[in-house]
Amino acid sequence: MKAYWQLTLAQLLIFSRNRQVLFFTLLFPLILMVALGSFVGSGGGVSISVSIVNQDDTNASKEFIALLQETEAMDVTISDDLTIALDRLEKGDLQIVVDIPEGYGNAVSNRTEDDPAYSLPVYYNETNLSASELGLTVINATVDEWSKELTNYSPIVEIESQGVRALNIQYIDFLVPGIVAMMIMSNNMNGVAGQISAWRERGILRRMQGTRLKASTFIAAQITARLALNGLQALLVLLIANFIFGVSVNGSWLLLIGLVILGTLAFMALGFIIAGVAKNPESAGPIAGFVTFPMLFLGGVFFPISNMPEFLQPFVQILPIAHLSTALRETMNVGTPITGQWLEILILSGWAIGAFFVASRTFRWE
Amino acid sequence: MKGCDQMAENMIEVEGLVKRYGKETAVNNVKFSVSTGEVFGLLGPNGAGKTTTIEMLVGLRKPDEGTARLAGFDIRKEIGEVKEVIGVQLQSTSLFELLTVQEIMKMYASFYPSNVSIPELIDEVLLTEKKKDRVKNLSGGQKQRLAIALALIHDPKIVFLDEPTTGLDPQARRTLWGIIENLKARGKTIVLSTHYMDEAHVLCDRIGIMDQGELIALDTPAALVKNLQSDSAIEFSLLHNEDVSFLDSLQAVKQVSNQNDRYVLYTDSIQLSLTDLIQQASSKNINLQDLQMRTATLEDVFIHMTGRSLRE
Repeated sequence: MKAYWQLTLAQLLIFSRNRQVLFFTLLFPLILMVALGSFVGSGGGVSISVSIVNQDDTNASKEFIALLQETEAMDVTISDDLTIALDRLEKGDLQIVVDIPEGYGNAVSNRTEDDPAYSLPVYYNETNLSASELGLTVINATVDEWSKELTNYSPIVEIESQGVRALNIQYIDFLVPGIVAMMIMSNNMNGVAGQISAWRERGILRRMQGTRLKASTFIAAQITARLALNGLQALLVLLIANFIFGVSVNGSWLLLIGLVILGTLAFMALGFIIAGVAKNPESAGPIAGFVTFPMLFLGGVFFPISNMPEFLQPFVQILPIAHLSTALRETMNVGTPITGQWLEILILSGWAIGAFFVASRTFRWE
Repeated sequence: MKGCDQMAENMIEVEGLVKRYGKETAVNNVKFSVSTGEVFGLLGPNGAGKTTTIEMLVGLRKPDEGTARLAGFDIRKEIGEVKEVIGVQLQSTSLFELLTVQEIMKMYASFYPSNVSIPELIDEVLLTEKKKDRVKNLSGGQKQRLAIALALIHDPKIVFLDEPTTGLDPQARRTLWGIIENLKARGKTIVLSTHYMDEAHVLCDRIGIMDQGELIALDTPAALVKNLQSDSAIEFSLLHNEDVSFLDSLQAVKQVSNQNDRYVLYTDSIQLSLTDLIQQASSKNINLQDLQMRTATLEDVFIHMTGRSLRE
């Protein structure tokens, strides 16, 4: 027991004196959060800039423009020159350009039942499909509504849209749990694998093997020290997200801390396995990278898992990072209580226990 | 404790240790015993099997054959007890660089049921001024003294020192010798490996000479040198291509060794051999360069037994 406390204390001292590691392991997730959070997440939702080139200048065209300006989803401006507007579209300043050609007013007001519908040219940038498509949909809906009004059409069936989830979730809310999951994964796996294999290479572990110290005591102290450090780091990121970015924690903080601990245990155990497999510290880094890098993209850190291609789904579904990020997200975004997350918790515990079992078999002093 | 019965007799009994790596035999049937309070030296060039022998004794490697008893405990069956009665300083040990001398000693102390006073031990290895310094900032000699202190932290009966002075400057080596002599004065049994002859000669009561995995000689330093049967050596250099066949037939010369045109003649009578050498060389018109005479050393013992130099 004495050895356990002394080793834990020693490891914490080493952490506190290795400021560089401490700084960068914390800085990276914070920068990622600030960068992605402010570039992608600002304003909430996608904003669409539309420019209307009014070459007709009749009452009919003005009426149509006024209608488009009413929709909140779009930022509508009036432009005089089509070429300038198209140029801005190409540069990405605009998502949609609507051209109202001369003679539009005449064509609409003099239209008879048998004439074909008037075609309104709408330009969009294909490189920004999601915004363009959203814009096109909004314009379509507006045009549709207006056509119906003009022809005094009364619909037989109408849809009534209602928001199902009352939560207002922005990308930053989605992102922060993912970043915390990523941080837990990379700090623990890379940290453990790198440090243990370096200590082995330098003979530090061998020297300890020459004493009465047991491997289990050594590993237990490592776990305790890392749990304290990584838990605090994750908590710090959560607090910064909470207070600076206003990312809310809708569920219980206690459950959140529990998940951070569970995730730390699972990934630390995987780190011990890598440390056992790696022949030297130089190979520990690439091996850890080989494992963490795919998980970063497949595990729902930056994009929802449901966006992954169908054939990858079975694989993605067993990754520990997927369950950690899902559980963190459910807790923070939705506020799902522990009873609603038993599957995630079970799978993560499975990973932690299984990995520790393998790690205890593969641990080597030299 | 069963180990106590044998205190008066042999502290270490090594019985036919064998270690193989693939086809190579690193240690072949090594046997020796060390009595309580003795300083035992293992001498030999790099790769002779000294370190492997020590590593088997302290439980870091499993012997393929044979065993050893340390303070009565068998290294195969009672390694836990063995580790409690031994202290180890390994070759090129590295420690947690970011901890201070004091902190690392406290940590190592916690690995054992009991330990000696840490401030006293720090004082004994002359690190009192450095006790709050990080390991990273210690000199090579200071690190080595810390490594020895860590080996002593639980007051072991036997101390293993694997090449403690390798890579140190002469001053640091002398300091370390003083510490080892203090240990001996306190009755510790010490096993020391080295490839420095002078060190073995100064520190060790008895020396085992190892070469290519085998223990080829075992005696006191004085007896080993005496057994050369030629207590003096004449050294000189010759130019290339000289006819040297006459050297073997010089008066009183027992052995001739040659390395890179540097010749050593081992002789019982330096006067007879030297007169003969100079006369013959003059008549053959051979130029003896850098001629020196000295008494034979352990280095000569090694050359005599293996035909090779220690630091080849």
